[in-house]
Amino acid sequence: MLTKEFIGLLSEASGLSKKEAEHLLTTQNAIIRENLMAGKVIQLQGLGALEVKERKARAIVHPRTGERSISPSKNQLVFRPVANIKDEIKKI
Amino acid sequence: MAEKLSWTELRRTLASRAGVSEKKASAFLNAFQAQLIEALKSDKQVKINGLGTFRVQAVAPRKSVDVTTGEEIVIEGYNKVAFTPEAGVKELVESQTFNSEKEDTVMNQENDPIQKLGAQANEIVDLLGDLGQSPEKNQSEQASVSQEPAAEEPNPFTFPQQEAPYVAPTFTMPSYAKEDDDDDIIVQKPHGEESHKLRNTLICLVLLLLLLLVGYFFFRSQITGFINSLISSNDSELLIAPADSASQDMLDGEDPNAYEKSLIPEGAISQEQILAEFLEASGDGSDIERSNEQELTYAGWITEEPMHEASRLAWMSKRYYGAKIYWPYLFDTNRDRFDDPNVIEVGTPIRVPKLTAAQRDTTNAQTIATIERLRQQAEARMR
Repeated sequence: MLTKEFIGLLSEASGLSKKEAEHLLTTQNAIIRENLMAGKVIQLQGLGALEVKERKARAIVHPRTGERSISPSKNQLVFRPVANIKDEIKKI
Repeated sequence: MAEKLSWTELRRTLASRAGVSEKKASAFLNAFQAQLIEALKSDKQVKINGLGTFRVQAVAPRKSVDVTTGEEIVIEGYNKVAFTPEAGVKELVESQTFNSEKEDTVMNQENDPIQKLGAQANEIVDLLGDLGQSPEKNQSEQASVSQEPAAEEPNPFTFPQQEAPYVAPTFTMPSYAKEDDDDDIIVQKPHGEESHKLRNTLICLVLLLLLLLVGYFFFRSQITGFINSLISSNDSELLIAPADSASQDMLDGEDPNAYEKSLIPEGAISQEQILAEFLEASGDGSDIERSNEQELTYAGWITEEPMHEASRLAWMSKRYYGAKIYWPYLFDTNRDRFDDPNVIEVGTPIRVPKLTAAQRDTTNAQTIATIERLRQQAEARMR
């Protein structure tokens, strides 16, 4: 499902116009991005949390050449769903 | 550790930033929460511009060992929600927040005793050395380690981002560059050529296959047309094409050897039998469905599972058989339990048959024809 269709669903469920829904969605995403940059964990009620996690540096081997190197540590954006969402999706 | 942006905070910021009332913002966020789940259930994937993609991902069943008893157990497959950030967001996250966290780690490391860091570096070097394939490399690495004074090693660790030699001075890079350079090139070159050759042959094979397929389909339509004009019975027109493509080709003698090969291991059906069947079927179209339905027997039952909310036959097929394409079998064994295969009531018990190897063999023309026939029967029931 693409953003446009999702916006259609949102406007239907919330009673807002499509334009309003789109505006709110983009603003929400901007807020989420900024707060992630500030190192905050975004709590999406009933859904889960968006969080930046550090991935530690590790030794990697190039599968073809066998060359070894170290992949530097980097940050990853991860989504942690809440327990009941997890259960709901699990057994589909 | 990390601060949280709570739901209420998000609502307030959203309202003030977007210039709408808090009521509207709250309505929007509630809709966002509810609809995201619904969309995930109905569509499996929700792409949100400016953030990323939420996706329902299947985790395949795997074998494991019970920790306490040592018995082998099978961990069942399940679905999980996966999130992939958009490329732009990913870059942002990787670049900006990294700086702040890096400063933190640098601070921490400066507080640590230098000797401890040196020991850690040596440990890593040893580990890498142990993994080495040739003893020569080992020696060279150890030599390079001993040459480096221990006090200098911690330095590259404290500034991992700014200094590239962080990897270089102690680890494998210099040894590759200085001593193993020549060997490596000699070893790698033939390897690369081989893979090129392989790739080329693969491409050739795929092209050939495509040509064959196109030719086959082109030819088949002609044959069907020809036979139809011969028989000129309106009822059987539709049924001939999918179900009996194999036998038609046999009639025509296009490539009899290939079909003999594919048929004999299947169930030792002789050509005459198929010819007879085909002639019968072309006489009366409705018979072929019934006779083929009875043919389908299964090796047994895996389980009977109630239909879950938002699930579908294709997903169950993927969970039990590893691929979605086998769902027509599930339709076949449960056709009496629902009307429309797209609309199955939650909780309806679904029988999951064991499939024989032949039934799962997607390279077999007959199997494909069977699945296709079942699929068409299922499609006929869809509204």
